[in-house]
Amino acid sequence: MMVYARSLYGARDLLWSWTRRTIQGRYQQSALGWLWAVIQPAATVFIFSIIFTMVVPIDTGEIPYVVFSFAAVTPWTFLATSLTDMSTSLVQNMTLVTKIYFPREALPIAAMLARLMDFGIAAVLLLILVIWYQLPVLQPALLFLPLIILIQIILIIGIGLTAAALNVFFRDVQPLMTLGIQLWFYASPIIYPVTLVPEWLRPYYYLNPMAGIIQAYRNVLLFGAAPESHLLLSAGLSVGILAFGYWLFKRLEFQFADIV
Amino acid sequence: MSARIRFENVSKKYLLGQTRTSLPSVVSEWLARTIRNRSGPPPEDRVLWSLRDVSFDLDEGQSLALLGPNGAGKTTILKLLANITKPTSGRIETAGQLSALIELGAGFHPDLTGRENIFLNGTILGLSRKYIADRFDEIVDFSELERFIDTPVKRYSSGMIVRLGFAVASCIEPEILLVDEVLAVGDATFRQKCMQRIRSLMKGGTSIIFVSHNLYLVQAVCDRGLYLHKGQLQFLGTVDEAISVYEQRLHQERAEKFEIGDAEAAGSLDYDVEISRVEVLDGGGRPAEVLRSDEPARIQIHYHAFKSIGKAHASVFIMRSDGLTCCMMRTKISGVALHIERGSGMITVDLEPLQLISGTYYAEAHFLNETDSMELDAKSGRSDWFSVQGRFLSYEESSGVYEPLVSWEQRSLDNPHNHHAWAIDGIGSTIDAPGGSSGKKEKK
Repeated sequence: MMVYARSLYGARDLLWSWTRRTIQGRYQQSALGWLWAVIQPAATVFIFSIIFTMVVPIDTGEIPYVVFSFAAVTPWTFLATSLTDMSTSLVQNMTLVTKIYFPREALPIAAMLARLMDFGIAAVLLLILVIWYQLPVLQPALLFLPLIILIQIILIIGIGLTAAALNVFFRDVQPLMTLGIQLWFYASPIIYPVTLVPEWLRPYYYLNPMAGIIQAYRNVLLFGAAPESHLLLSAGLSVGILAFGYWLFKRLEFQFADIV
Repeated sequence: MSARIRFENVSKKYLLGQTRTSLPSVVSEWLARTIRNRSGPPPEDRVLWSLRDVSFDLDEGQSLALLGPNGAGKTTILKLLANITKPTSGRIETAGQLSALIELGAGFHPDLTGRENIFLNGTILGLSRKYIADRFDEIVDFSELERFIDTPVKRYSSGMIVRLGFAVASCIEPEILLVDEVLAVGDATFRQKCMQRIRSLMKGGTSIIFVSHNLYLVQAVCDRGLYLHKGQLQFLGTVDEAISVYEQRLHQERAEKFEIGDAEAAGSLDYDVEISRVEVLDGGGRPAEVLRSDEPARIQIHYHAFKSIGKAHASVFIMRSDGLTCCMMRTKISGVALHIERGSGMITVDLEPLQLISGTYYAEAHFLNETDSMELDAKSGRSDWFSVQGRFLSYEESSGVYEPLVSWEQRSLDNPHNHHAWAIDGIGSTIDAPGGSSGKKEKK
């Protein structure tokens, strides 16, 4: 694991320029540019707010539904877009992969970093909403935020590396990923609070690492509370997934150029 | 001196048809295989040994050319060295930093500017941003793209992209440099510059592995040659020996092909006319592999017509080994009308003298229809490689393509008696022009 970390550290300049390339390439020909980072979650939350406050009302306590769902949709969008981009990151750059040697994990990880920037932009809108609805902003619980983001990144890299590597061999991974993300969305507390999940189901429910992570985001951002212990489970699962993903990726790495 | 590169009994196996792209196909393939021969080895016809038991060493400052037809395993050797793929068996050792001039500009992003792409491509090649920043001006200078450096790369021509790619990839001074056919694009002046850069790296001790179909460049750059055929090492020695072994083999193969062609000719009516052989003869009318630039040469085209065609035209090209078309000779333009009857025949073109500069060439012949506008339903033909010896010994591309017959004259406008004229009727010899006061080559 240390070897991997060192090789990744050695490729930090590559990570940086590839991330820049991805971001610049994405917004070069688009009129709204980085605004898309906000439009996507905002539109989702807008629809949710109409449906889940007027059509099928969901009780979110004293927190307005808009903020309640935005606090979850933002990190979720980060995960979903990252995984989609990561799974195609190698396949789309096969000419490079088959011609030049560089630490291959740089491509999927840079795809994630490029989405991390979108996440940052969307977070600004979240902050504006929090202030608008006069929720407490500066609280000691915010110190947990970097930790939660780190755990989420670990989870994303773990799944993303696995998907990127397998996608070279089986293109089924792409549609599978889209489908998986769709189902996973409903298995995570995004449009509803965890309190609506039946008591008996919860131990299994938290086997979904995103459940603990999103719950932690809400606790910290909306309630000014420390994350619950479920975050530890999420962290453990995420690290395990990362170890597996990295191991698999490194194992398959030298076969990428042989399959075209 | 320790070896920079050591290849020990390296083999690389590929399984053909392994492009698994969907799950159902994998499952059905797996089922088919289990039913046919329970988990036996894959059938022999699906195994491709891209390299088989290849061993060689390369020392500091040496340069090795990889020769061989497509699919011989040259690219596989480069990929193994560049750590893109791993050998099936055998050991590969490399010492020192390695850089590859392969697929220049592969890492460029079309929407980014030249400046941004220099950093992007450089980091892909393993350089740090600081290193690139320090050499940025040098890179831009070398690429000659100062004016376009802030223009998106998508507006660049392919030649410009190669220039930028080469400039980035060669700004390092690596211990090992892999060069794969990258100089095929780009203009001659820039190619010359690249060659200079490669040579100066060699002087600095860089070991080079060079792949090119351009036998000029190969001869100019490399001191050793390795000839591969179907993944197996056929010859390893000096570059001149390796090239001649390679050419001999090409020659042999073509001869075999033509023999088979003759045997099948009676039965095959795929063509109306078939050029069975193209021969290059020297001034004495003998088949030759080496011709002199200042002597006549003759190209003979042997054909077989399976039916009477009537009026037709022929065109003959002379191609240089780097793919340059040196000249085109057409019966139409010479005002010659061919008449092809059923049966065998021969067409002869005389070049008096040949006038090509030193180099390796081949001749190619085609038949065209009566109006010289469409190729006939004919099998065209190619001669073997032949080399030409001219006054220039080197293969510098600045020497041009041909050596014209020239005469020189010098006169002083102040002193009408000071008048020299030289006419060259052969390499090195001079004759006095009538009225000339001197026949010496040097000025008085």
